[in-house]
Parts: sequence; structure tokens; C-alpha cells
Amino acid sequence: MRRNLLLGLLVVALLAFSVSTLFAGAQREAAEREIVLTWPSIWVGQDSKADVMEEIVNEFNQQHAGRIRVVVEPQPDYDGYEDTIRTRLAARRPPDIFTFKLSPTTAVYYSGDLLMDFSADLGRDGWGDTFNQGNLNASTMGGATKSLPYEIGFTPIWYNTELFARAGIDRFPQTMDEFWEACEKLKAIGVVPTSQMTGGTNSWTSMLWYTHFLGSYGGPDVWERAWDDRAFEQAAAIIKRLYSDGNTTRDAIGADAGVSSGHYMNERTAMFINGAWFIGRIRDDAPDVYRATELAPAPKAGNYHGHQVGWLHTNLAAAHTDDPARREAVVTFMRHLTSPENAKRVSLAAGSLLAVEFELGPQDQLDPLQAKFIEAGNQAEFLIDHMEASMPVDVVYELGQALGSMVLEDRSPREFVQMLQAAEN
Amino acid sequence: MRNLSSKSNRNRKWIVLFLTPVGVLFVAFFLYPIVFVTILSFMEWNGIEPMSFIGIGNFRYLFADSVFRTSIQNNVIWALSAALLQIPLALVIALILAREPRGWRFFRTVYFLPNVISLVALAMMWTALYNPEFGLINHLLERVGADHMTRNWLGEIETALPALIFSYQIYIGYFMVIILAGTLSIPKSFYEAAMIDGANVFQQEVHITLPAIRGIIITAGTLAVAFALRQFETTFLMTAGGPANRTPVMGLYMYRRMAGLTYGRAAATGVLIIVLGIVVLSALQRVFGKADAVEDARQ
Amino acid sequence: MPVARDALTETPLAIRIVARSAKWVILVLYLVIAITPLLWLTVSAFKTNLEIEIAPFSLPAVWQFRNFANAITISGLHQFFLNSIIVAVVATTLNLLVTSMASFVIAREEFALRELFFTATTAGVLIPIIAFMVPYYTLITHLHLFDRLWALIITYSAINIPISMFLVSSFMKSIPRELEDSAEIDGCSFVQRYWRIILPLARPGLVTAGTFSFIYCWNEFIYALLLTSSRSARTVQLAIRFFTSQFRTDYAGMFAAIVLTMIPTVAVYIFLHDKIISGLTAGAVKG
Repeated sequence: MRRNLLLGLLVVALLAFSVSTLFAGAQREAAEREIVLTWPSIWVGQDSKADVMEEIVNEFNQQHAGRIRVVVEPQPDYDGYEDTIRTRLAARRPPDIFTFKLSPTTAVYYSGDLLMDFSADLGRDGWGDTFNQGNLNASTMGGATKSLPYEIGFTPIWYNTELFARAGIDRFPQTMDEFWEACEKLKAIGVVPTSQMTGGTNSWTSMLWYTHFLGSYGGPDVWERAWDDRAFEQAAAIIKRLYSDGNTTRDAIGADAGVSSGHYMNERTAMFINGAWFIGRIRDDAPDVYRATELAPAPKAGNYHGHQVGWLHTNLAAAHTDDPARREAVVTFMRHLTSPENAKRVSLAAGSLLAVEFELGPQDQLDPLQAKFIEAGNQAEFLIDHMEASMPVDVVYELGQALGSMVLEDRSPREFVQMLQAAEN
Repeated sequence: MRNLSSKSNRNRKWIVLFLTPVGVLFVAFFLYPIVFVTILSFMEWNGIEPMSFIGIGNFRYLFADSVFRTSIQNNVIWALSAALLQIPLALVIALILAREPRGWRFFRTVYFLPNVISLVALAMMWTALYNPEFGLINHLLERVGADHMTRNWLGEIETALPALIFSYQIYIGYFMVIILAGTLSIPKSFYEAAMIDGANVFQQEVHITLPAIRGIIITAGTLAVAFALRQFETTFLMTAGGPANRTPVMGLYMYRRMAGLTYGRAAATGVLIIVLGIVVLSALQRVFGKADAVEDARQ
Repeated sequence: MPVARDALTETPLAIRIVARSAKWVILVLYLVIAITPLLWLTVSAFKTNLEIEIAPFSLPAVWQFRNFANAITISGLHQFFLNSIIVAVVATTLNLLVTSMASFVIAREEFALRELFFTATTAGVLIPIIAFMVPYYTLITHLHLFDRLWALIITYSAINIPISMFLVSSFMKSIPRELEDSAEIDGCSFVQRYWRIILPLARPGLVTAGTFSFIYCWNEFIYALLLTSSRSARTVQLAIRFFTSQFRTDYAGMFAAIVLTMIPTVAVYIFLHDKIISGLTAGAVKG
């Protein structure tokens, strides 16, 4: 009896399975005449760019119906996405279209002929001129542009003007003395000054704090300097103090980005750092904090002031192909995606900042906080890359550990820098 | 005699036929990758450019790295926690449930449920429980006036690893299920005989149950140790190896080397995980005995 | 087991009381530990994101039933259920079939290389499977199985070989040999011995291994992501990730989706495992 039941289940499952594979096969066949480009994309699901990206891809597919079809394969989990791309590149089968973060670690993707080189196409009909030239140069190595700059990361310091006012602080601190004074005032009214974190893969919030102060000590070219440059140590000393004396929450060591941003949204902390992509979240979940938020550059710690942390966040890439028709199809799609009008749509709809330049008209509705982002970007004296864009992945991982070591084991800022340096090999 | 040998000849065909499916899958999904990973462990490879042979360079690098040495140490602690904490607890619970106390089916089902819940959700719950700002553990300690005992459980050097290992004990149900299934095959007549001799419950467990399920216990123990040795998701999701590099394990170390595009070092780590597993399991076998293929339960 | 309970009357009263209360303390304590995650997850699935982040152990201010509606509409969860069920059922069946055949031979026959075969196949439990991303991807693309359910079915049934071999063979070993001997005298063939005698008796082991395999298949994430790409071959674990994105995770929606995806595994556990194991009596061994 029971065995019959099990066998029955098995037969049903196998039948359902073969039917479903047949169905999938039929779909594949119908699509054979046109050029199909698959794009495993992270801009799906809950991502703020998901809807507008879907529209842009659908429009493209309509315009090129019967000739080119871009198929988006949703891959919303970012760590998993990076694992997949890395593995497929190692197996020498990159997806037709994909995105990655350009960093000293991933720069190696440029070697060999895995990726398509866009440099010749960028020279045609001024396509290359539509990009921010600094970003385009950063994406060109040895004359080859094997990925296109697309999304920009820009992360000023966020502060809660409500809490600042309550603590009797009338403007964002300009010097470190003012900054520490402000911290004391905030603590006096029971507010924790800053959100920090050492968790996740990159210690996100604290990595950005560190980069801000690094810029103040080391200036625009700080990442080109050697590890023994004083700036690395000086910025670390400030971070160490931010982790002591109640200047951050008790859970900062080990906290992840959710905890760090949660404290800011819950008005537990008064200062926090993140990019424009966080606007939607805070607007939905903590409208009061959203309205009270202003943006600022870091206080002057060293010789430099008024800079911001901004970097090339996402590059678009495609698999190299020897088939000219396929190549043309990829370029056609990339031109569509990076056209100024589509870039503008993405930027307005998702709050993203892009490496493609476009004009905003008076009728374009910007989110007020996003307008502040653009203003902060225009006012910045200079931009420096965040650590993740400038250092190998292993150093970025080590940051959280080195922070923990400096704070919990009372290591010196010098030893902190040595830990990072050791991780580079 | 002739009859017997022809029988074994006939059986040989069947033996080969019965082993073939597992054999094929094993070659494709275990042997080939292991050979690949072992070769890779002697190479330098970033996943993009051609590999180059560097001898034992990767292994030398690993043993020179203090984070890797901490990982080995942590792996051994994890393995011991599985053998000395997880399995004894699973065994006690299984023995209690095997005697079918009131509601035992309910207990058995509920005890297993944590194994069904996604790792991500479980890790989030534990991280929240341990959080010093809004976590339940510190909250309860404060309630009973033990404020001095409150901590950042996952963020302090002394407590992070114990807190991780404690959270992992939620998977006891997995091994309880194995052991409990093992007790089902003990004939009841064994106990009836013992009872006539006046043996009490503890004596029955020690003299009848434990010997009868010794093989199953060792199987469960081997699995528990192996899982503890290769686990890295719990660590990755809850502490990411922190604070201050106190909780890394070899699996996490390997994953990070893959993300850093140093595939040779990742492969060397993978090889050493397997080697450490063999060493730990053989050491445990010396202490607790071996799960022999044919010997047990026929006594 | 009423016989066992009678034995307690032989023990002094004080010890009996201590033993009995110790037993219940252990049972209830672990019950609390084991049930907390499920309760927490279920309650959290009714909260808002901010509540989950800043007050993870409070009840929701307003019970957000729409999280469950979102769970289905945003991720298209229902589309992936069938794929997950097919993968888990077929992979588990395949795995049990091949490992029970091999285990039968290993547990009940004598032959050269027997020890080696057993050690090699079970040593696989030591392997951190994530190390095999590149080889598995290469293998699956060479077999032309990429983005097909078969890719996951074969991979999962292979990955579960070591655990199943361990469990099934150790259960098969514990079956008294006399049963088989008498069957052989009755003229049972090799296949009949496997199918008619050993397989039914090893059922606790098969069910246990099958449960573990099913749960593994249901919860596996990284190879599902690597070896499939289109919606037609994706499983529920990938659907759950529709609530995460690079900068933002919708925990409320994700938890609701997790709760929904857990229902089949819990059902499989309760029905398959409980019913089949409970249906067995220890007396069956007596034959």
C-alpha cells in the first residue's frame, strides 16, 4: 500500500517534470532566430532601479523585436551575484551582459579576452563624450575600455538636525574641536553621536567614516600613498576615538549595515553615512528622520576640508565575442542603456547618481534629499574613492578586524595600519 | 563448493552493477573536483589569467598567516564541541524520547524544526538575541538585576566564539533524529529479559541500548564532527570572523580567498580542511571506537 | 514502551522523582530553545522592517498581513514552488535509490575494495562543497544541463551521497543476518533480497536520509544560483532573495516568504518522517 503510494508520487513528479522541461525547450526554440542576450541583473526585485530598468529593457526589446532580445535573469542577492560572476569568469563563460564593482581586485578581469572592449565604439558618434570623463578614464586600462562606468557612489555624512537642535548645536561642526564638542552635547541629551559598524563584508559605515577623515589628512591622492604615510594613522586615531567614550553604540563592534542604519532611523544616533540609494528606505520607514536629515562633508581634521567620498560604483560589462552581429547587438543595447535620456530616467526614478551626464530641466521632480545630494556633490572641493574602490578585497575585509583589534585590544593606530598592510599580500 | 563459488561469481556481477550509479556520481562530483582542487592548491591562479605552478607556496603562505592558524584552532574547537556537547545532548534527548514519554512525538517534531529554518533567518535571530542594545539576553539580565553581566556577546573577544557555538546547538535535533531512528531497531525482547533480571532504567540503557546503537551513535558523531569542521555559514552570517579575527574558521577563510581571487590559496585551504577532518576523525575513532562496516548489532 | 515503565517501580522513590523531573526539565528547556526561532520568525513576518531592526522581540504594533501578500506578488513565490518540489523529490528519490543499492552491497556482501569504496564515498562529508564552484559549473555546462532542473537534481543527489551512504549503510548493517540467510535458502535472488528484505527493514535509515536530503535540496542556495539562470529553472530559495538587494533588505517580506516556503518541508517532515517511522514497530526486526 505504502510503497504504491510512494511509487505513485514518483510517477506524478516525473511526469510533471518532463512536461515542464518540454515546455522550457519550446520556449528556447522560438527564440532562435533573433540574437538573445542574457543579462544576470541585480537591479531587480526590491532594488530601487528595478522598475525603471525593466521599462528600459522592454522598450529596447520592442524597438528591436525579431532582431535582438535582452533577457534579464534576476539575481537580487549581491554576494551570490559576485560569487556567480567570479565563477563563470573562471570557467571562461562570462554572461553576455553583467555588472561588477571595479576595484584593484576585479581589475584583473580586464586581462585576456574575456570581456568586450568598447574603446572603438566609444569613439563613434560621440558616445564616449556622454560619460563623465574621469569615470571613463578610470574604466580604461592600457587603452582598452572593457567595462563602462555606470553608477556612482556618493556618501556624505548624514545628520539629524532635530537632534542637533535639541542638543544646542546650530550647525554641522567644521573643525575636530567643534566635532568632539558636538558629540559631548549629543551625549548629554542621551543621543549617541555616530553610527558605526565592523560587520558585513566591508564594515560599510565605518569604512566611509575612515575614508572621509583619510581625505582630510591625505587629500585627493591619498590612496596613491604608501602605507607608512601619516594620514592612514591619523584617520585611524579619530576612528578609535569614535568607537570609545560612548561616541557610538555599544553594538558597533560586529554590527552590520542594518543595525547601523537602524540606529539612525530610530533617532538613537545623530550621524550616519550612506548613499542616495538609502533615501527611499528612510522616507518609507522613518519619515521624521528623513525630513530632519541634512548632509555635510567631514569636519576638518587635517589639511583638507570640504571634500566628499565618491567613487565609481558599478560598471557595465559584456562577454567578448568574435561574432560581429552579436557584438553589434551588445553595443546597441549598451548605447540604449547609457543614453542620457535613459540615464536621467534612472536617476530620477531611483535616486541613483550616474556616470552618464544629462541635463535636468525645471520640470523634473527631484526628491528634496536627492537634491541635497546633488548640491553636496557640486559643492565638494574634491572627491576621493572609498576604500573598497581603492584597495584589494582582502584589505577591505581586514578593516573590520583591524578596527575591532584597535578598540578591543587597545592597539595603536599604527598597529591598525600594519594589520591592513599585512592583508594586502 | 562449486555451488558456492558460482554463486559468488553471479553476485559479483550484481555487486558491480549496484555500485556503479554511486560510483559514477562519485567520480563526477567528488573525485574530479578533488583532483582539480588538489592540483590547484599547488598553483597560483586569479581565476582569469593562466595558472602557474608554485609548489607548496600556498601552504607556506597559509601557515605563515596568523588568521589561518586561528582558523585551524577554531575548527578543532568546533569539532570538539560537536563530539562532546552536541552528540551527548542529542543522545540523552533521544534516549528519553525512545521511552515514549507523554507527548514524545510532539517533542520529536519540534526538536527537529530548527533544521528546516533558513540559515539566514536563524542567524538574524541569534544576532538580535545577542545584540547589546536591544537584544533579549541582555534585557533579561537587566531585568534580574545582573547588569554587570550584560555584554556585546558577539562583539567581545571572550564571548564571541562561545556564543557562536552555543547558537549552533540548536541543530541537536538532527542527530537526535538519527539516534532515535537507531533505537527503533532494537528488539523489545532484549528489554523484557533485562527486566526479569531486575535491571533499572539506567542499567537497561547502559547495558542494552548503548551497545545496540553504538554504530549509529558513531555515525551520528562522525556526521556532527564533519559538519562542525566544514561549517562556515553560521560564522559568516553572525560574526564574519570577528571581533579582531577571533572567530574565523577554515571554511570562511577559504571563501574569502575565493572572493579575493586567490584561488590557489582557497584550494590549499580546502585540501587542509579535508586533511584536518581525517586527522580529527581518526583521533576520535581511537577514543570512541570505529563504526565498523559489518560488526555491530549482530551480537 | 510500557515494559520499561514498570522497571521504574524497582527503583527507590527519591531517585525516581529526581530522574523524572530531570527528564522533564531537559525536554521543556530544549523545547523552548527549539521552538523560539520558529515563533520569532513567524511573529517577525507580521512586523514592519523598522520594528524588526530596532525592536526584534516585541509584538508588532499593527499585524502586517500584507507582508504575506507581498511575499507572493513580489517574488512570484508560487511559480518557484513546483520547481523546488520537483528538484527535491526527484533528487531525493534518485539519491536514495543509488545509495541504498550501494549500501546494500557494502553492508551485506564481502568483496575486495569494499572498505575503500565505503571510506571514499563517505569521506565526502568532510568536503566543504563550496570549494567546488568552478568544477561543478564546468561539469554542468559540459553536460549541457546549465539552467535546467536536471542540473540541480543531479548535483543535489550527488552532494547528498556521503550522508546517505553513512546512514543507510549503518542501518542496513544492523539488520540481523539470519533473516537474509533464511531468505536465500528460500530461493530469493540478489535483487529480491535487496528489494524485498533489506530495503523494507532499513526503512528508518532510508526515511532519515531521505528527510535530510529533502531538506538540503529545499534550502540549498548557492548552487541553485550558480547552475540556473532563468525563471523556468529556479527554486524557492532564490525567490526569497527577491527581498534583498544591494543596499536594502526587506526583512518583513523575506520572513513572510521564508515562513511560506517552510510549510512544505515541515509537512514532509511530519508526514514522511513521523508517519513512516511511527508505523514501524521494533518488532518488525524479529521477522
